[in-house]
Amino acid sequence: MKNFQYGKPASLEQAAAFLGPGDPNVFVMGGGTDLLGEIKEGLVEPAVVIDLKAVPGLAYIKKDKDGVAIGALTTIADLAEDPGIQKDYRVLHEAAAVVASPQLRNVGTVGGNLCQRPRCWYYRDARIVCNKKGGVKCYAEKGRNKYHAVFAGGLCWAVYPSDLAPALIALDAKAVILSAKGERTVPLAEFYMPPIVNVRKENVLNGQEIVKEVRVPQAKANEKSAYLKFIERGSWDFAVVSAAVKAVLSGTTIENIRIVCGGVAPVPWRMTKAEEALKGRKATEAAARQAAKSALKDASPLAENGYKIELLETIIARAVGSLGK
Amino acid sequence: MKKEAIIEDPYLEYIDLANIGGDQAAAPPLPQPAQPKPGEFKLIGKYTPRVDGRKIVTGEALYTHDLVFEGMLIAKILRSPHASADVVSVDLGPALSYPGVKAALKLKDGRVKWAGEPIAAVAAVDERTAEESLKLIKVEYKVLPHVVSVDKAMAQGAPLVQNEGNVAKSNEYTRGDAEKGFKEADVIFEQTYKTSWEVHQPTETHGSLAKWDGDNLTVWDSTQAIQSVRDGLARSLAMPASRIKVIKHYMGGGFGSKLGVNDHTIIAARMAKETGRPVKILLTRQENSDCVGYRPTAWMTVRAGAKKDGTLTALTLKNYNCGGIGRGDRCSEPFTDVYKCANVKVEEYAVFVNTCGSRATRAPGHTQATFGLEGFMEELAARLSLDPLELRLKNYSTKDKGDTGTPYSTKGLEQCYKLGAEKIGWSRRNKKPGAGNGTVRTGLGMASQIWPGAGVPGTLADVKLYNDGSVEVDCGTQDIGTGTRTHIAIVAAETLGLEPRDISVHIGNSDLPWAPISGGSLTVPSVAPAVRDAALKAAEYLKGLAAKKLNVAPAEIVLEDKKAVSKTDPGKSIDLKELARTIPRPMPFHGERANMTPGFAYQTFGAHFAEVEVDTETGKIKVKKVVAAHDIGRVLNRQTAESQVIGAITQGMSAALFEEKIMDPETGTMLNPNLHDYKVATAMDIPEIVPIFADVIDDRLNNLGTKGLGEPPRIPASAVIANAVFNAIGVHVREIPMTPARVLAALKRKEAGK
Repeated sequence: MKNFQYGKPASLEQAAAFLGPGDPNVFVMGGGTDLLGEIKEGLVEPAVVIDLKAVPGLAYIKKDKDGVAIGALTTIADLAEDPGIQKDYRVLHEAAAVVASPQLRNVGTVGGNLCQRPRCWYYRDARIVCNKKGGVKCYAEKGRNKYHAVFAGGLCWAVYPSDLAPALIALDAKAVILSAKGERTVPLAEFYMPPIVNVRKENVLNGQEIVKEVRVPQAKANEKSAYLKFIERGSWDFAVVSAAVKAVLSGTTIENIRIVCGGVAPVPWRMTKAEEALKGRKATEAAARQAAKSALKDASPLAENGYKIELLETIIARAVGSLGK
Repeated sequence: MKKEAIIEDPYLEYIDLANIGGDQAAAPPLPQPAQPKPGEFKLIGKYTPRVDGRKIVTGEALYTHDLVFEGMLIAKILRSPHASADVVSVDLGPALSYPGVKAALKLKDGRVKWAGEPIAAVAAVDERTAEESLKLIKVEYKVLPHVVSVDKAMAQGAPLVQNEGNVAKSNEYTRGDAEKGFKEADVIFEQTYKTSWEVHQPTETHGSLAKWDGDNLTVWDSTQAIQSVRDGLARSLAMPASRIKVIKHYMGGGFGSKLGVNDHTIIAARMAKETGRPVKILLTRQENSDCVGYRPTAWMTVRAGAKKDGTLTALTLKNYNCGGIGRGDRCSEPFTDVYKCANVKVEEYAVFVNTCGSRATRAPGHTQATFGLEGFMEELAARLSLDPLELRLKNYSTKDKGDTGTPYSTKGLEQCYKLGAEKIGWSRRNKKPGAGNGTVRTGLGMASQIWPGAGVPGTLADVKLYNDGSVEVDCGTQDIGTGTRTHIAIVAAETLGLEPRDISVHIGNSDLPWAPISGGSLTVPSVAPAVRDAALKAAEYLKGLAAKKLNVAPAEIVLEDKKAVSKTDPGKSIDLKELARTIPRPMPFHGERANMTPGFAYQTFGAHFAEVEVDTETGKIKVKKVVAAHDIGRVLNRQTAESQVIGAITQGMSAALFEEKIMDPETGTMLNPNLHDYKVATAMDIPEIVPIFADVIDDRLNNLGTKGLGEPPRIPASAVIANAVFNAIGVHVREIPMTPARVLAALKRKEAGK
């Protein structure tokens, strides 16, 4: 680990100004649960780390007429425990409640969770230079890949590890992004980039930008949602597969539904074919299983991760089946 | 300065833990002190909290990692990134001229056989400097082809890992005539069971600190074996063992990975000598994961012939062990010893691949073997439509070598079966495996264990009485976390009529009277009898003094409640403190662990019973409850004994469900050398655990009738879960860890009728 300078900005604008020149050796940090690991593992060698925790007023959950605004520095524990979120956005509450472990939820932030780097073991090994690190191949494709992607691989088969991202995409949330040049708002569904667009990074932030806030639209009266995460052990595990579902129901019939999966692709993965197939159907496990099964025919598993397809079918079915409960 | 002594990995020699101390002919038998009557004990066998528990949980206890000396340097090791290569040249120059670097060593010439092999080391003023300077060492490698998977290593044309070839016979055993036995069978059944590379992952990584004072070397080491580290250092450094002192006060676990001198310890000692400053070296979690061993894999093909009533007529094992560049374990003993069978044949092979050598891992060999043997027995019972417990009782043995050898002095396995089956509610199991309904299936399974744990004759301990009434015990053993200080205090206090906290326990220093490694479940059955022997002598001495004072016969005196009291006239008593004033000088009493009574076999036995739930749609296993019944002779301290069982079951469950060292075929490196990707069970995974002790006292074994417990509860802990899963879903997964992928694959195998 190399020494770095520690920047304690007084405001978000000041933090953005630090990033202004677009220096790739300047990193912003939320809770630090990912970045500090990357530094220790020798994956990144920042010259400057800007600690956003120093900026006052970035941790909040505010309700207004448009929905709810969540400050980027809100801890995942605070999000999980917020009664308003629990009441109106079950999918987000459930996703936040199963992130990592209690210790990590107490420190990790919403903004940091959305901007974390993948957990692929080839990427995380500083000795291995893969596509994501400027190399010329993906080692997982023909290597050890039981935790890797079954969709949209190719240049990189790492999965996107966030629990919050699928939930927020299911809820049609938007990210408010700040830079020295001003603010812009990007739907989270467009925030992540597949490897084919840019294999070196996972989102649209241009190196001078910071996620400031997440806005979630007002929940409809007949809106139901759920998040189901499959992990191998009882705690402290990234999703092997996960499913965030949000549906507008009329009685028990699905008017429209959004299904966004985690752990299966380099970006949060929408199951649009399954969504289409479920329109007008009852929100039951059986209907969802059938829809998922057919949509999962598009998957392209690697040598060791075919079981993820079976798992995903069950997790989607159970998540949809739980909507009425 | 740049001497090029090459350090060989001392761990490559097979450590036969199961047979340490087994050579009873070595020392003449000593007279056995009189046995205490049941109920005579006030402390032994009861619940006593650890005497150092508070120190440990408050952070007051110092571990090797905590130690800091003035002028201390930090050393780091440069390791090979290649799994197979020739080291062409090593240039230490740039590192040596880096500011803050005080010494650098070249450690390797010629062939590198695994990624992580030490190439060079530096010692610098702090950790950061050492790390940065390592990057400046220039190593030229000629990279060679490697192989890191067992099946590829066994294939034609694989890169050769050892000159003798990638497969070498490592063990064989025959008794009777297996072919004849198969001919007598009504049913012949064969299956293959596989275990994975399980890494020890102690909480505290390996670490050593070396400091010279003239020609004398002191080493603080996170070790299970202070005496062996001293002897190993003496050999490696070619210096007298008498000039080396090894100290270990507290450690965060070892599980077999810290049983001898490590290359990093030798490096610290050499660099400390060269620089004239103390040198500390701590392995990182990554080094701890991929450079200091693991449990070797076993691929066991088990074949048995049986009569319809379950009587075994033949049992054979063909096993391929893979311990990297080392020879792995031997898995034969459970197969040759647990069940009554006249015709047994074992063939074992070592398979070599380009990873570091395996090391002893909590019940080496027996743990893997038990997964194979007991998984097989469960499947055989189903094949014969027998209760698995009935099948085991049908083949119960009372002599070793499967009822063909020496009689067991005591064998409480039958009691363990009975106690365990009753506690789990064995009748609730699916009479036919997989008989239940629904998505989530419940099942019960069982597995037995056998392990020596008899202790080592010749272990020494001193009890010293001071004339202020205080008592000290000196023993060159070490506490690897099991509670050794407490066990010693209990035995001394019990014998002298004191409280455990009245005893000053001096351990963890190799200058103290000899005791064996803390491995092989040896500590309690070696150390406790030696302490008892010394304490009984001290008690006799005190009784003699009291007899004179109280004017009664010495045999009249008992030591209790910190007094010497006349048995016949309780009015006659004297405080031990007061009595001690007449001691002219500190009085040492030497104790020794005596031999076992010859002509008998000594083993621990046990049986686990588990209840699991399996989600048949996701393959996820939830362990609900484990009942563990063990015959370990007399329990010294029920509290720490239960802790051992809880820890072992947690570890075994973790190996059964999650743990696996994953190697990358292309780069030849370990992909999960950290505690996130190498998955150890979390608190959320631990089931209800019920420890039971059969309390079978073996008077022939030692003066306390006590056996070891470090390993016994680990042995069946993975197998029992696999067997419960079999009972739940009707198909045996036959490979650990039983990941969702493997469970789902097993369910498909069942559907396909295979």
